[in-house]
Amino acid sequence: MEGYEHLVGHRFPGGTYTLPGWLSWLWADAAQLPPDDDAAHPALAYLVAMQGAGVSIQDIFDLMDATADSGVMFGECQLDYHGIMRPGATYECDGEIIEVQRKSGRRAGVFDKLSFRVGLREPGAAEPVAVCTNTWIFPRAAGS
Amino acid sequence: MAAREISVGQQLEPLVIESVDPARMKTMAAILQDPNPIHYDTAVTQALGLGDKPVNQGPINLTWLIESAVRFAGGPERLVSVKIRFLGNVFGGERFECTGTVGAVDHDAGVAELELSATSDGRPVLGGVAVVTLGS
Repeated sequence: MEGYEHLVGHRFPGGTYTLPGWLSWLWADAAQLPPDDDAAHPALAYLVAMQGAGVSIQDIFDLMDATADSGVMFGECQLDYHGIMRPGATYECDGEIIEVQRKSGRRAGVFDKLSFRVGLREPGAAEPVAVCTNTWIFPRAAGS
Repeated sequence: MAAREISVGQQLEPLVIESVDPARMKTMAAILQDPNPIHYDTAVTQALGLGDKPVNQGPINLTWLIESAVRFAGGPERLVSVKIRFLGNVFGGERFECTGTVGAVDHDAGVAELELSATSDGRPVLGGVAVVTLGS
C-alpha cells in the first residue's frame, strides 16, 4: 500500500492575494452572518491562505491522487492571529505540507491525514497576520 | 468584555442557525472553488450514503464556531487562536448550535481559553478551543 509521506516538505507556489470587499461580504452572507465593511471575518484567513498559497483544493486532491467525489473531509483547522483580516488588504502567502500519515480505524477504514500550513503576511511585515494549519482526511479503499 | 467579567465556567451566548441553508452552500462552493459535489449535488450525497441533503462546507461551520468566540470576546481583534476539530457532517435544513464555556483565565497574560462545541440537529459536529484576549 503506497503512502504519501514523500509529500512532507512540498512547498506551494506562494504569492499574493488581495481580499476583495465583495468576497468578504459574500462570505458573511453565505454563513448567514451580517457582513462587516471594516473587518473581514477571521475565518477568511482560510480562504486567503488557499488563494494566496497558489494551491487549489483540486491541486491538493491531485497530489493525494484523490477525486472530488471520493469523500475527502476537513479534519482539523488551526488559525493563529496577530492581527485582523481586512477587506481590500493584500497578503503575501507561503505554505507547505507539514505532515502526512496513513491511518486506519474500525469505522473509517484506511485513510490518509494530510496537514499543511500557510502563513499570511502584509507586504513587508516580518510577522504574519495569520497562520492557517489545515488537516484533511482522504478515505482510501483497501489496497489503494 | 472587561477582564473582571470573565470567569472559569462562564457560558458563551449560544450561536444558533435555525436552518442551514443549502442555497448558500452553492455560493460558498463558488467562493472556495470547491469541486466537491457533496455541497451542491444531492445525487452524489445519496450515492455516497450521506442521505438526500447537501453537506455544509467545513469553512462555514468553522466560521460559526469562530463567530461565537468573537462575539464573546468583543471583536475579531481579540481572537488570538482557534483550533477546531471537524467531528461530523452538517446537512442542509438542520439546526446548528454553537456553545462554549470559559475553560481557563490568565489575568496576568490577559487571555482566556474558550472550550467550544457545536451540534447539528443534536449531533456533535465540531469541537475546539479558542484563545481570546481580555478587555481592559
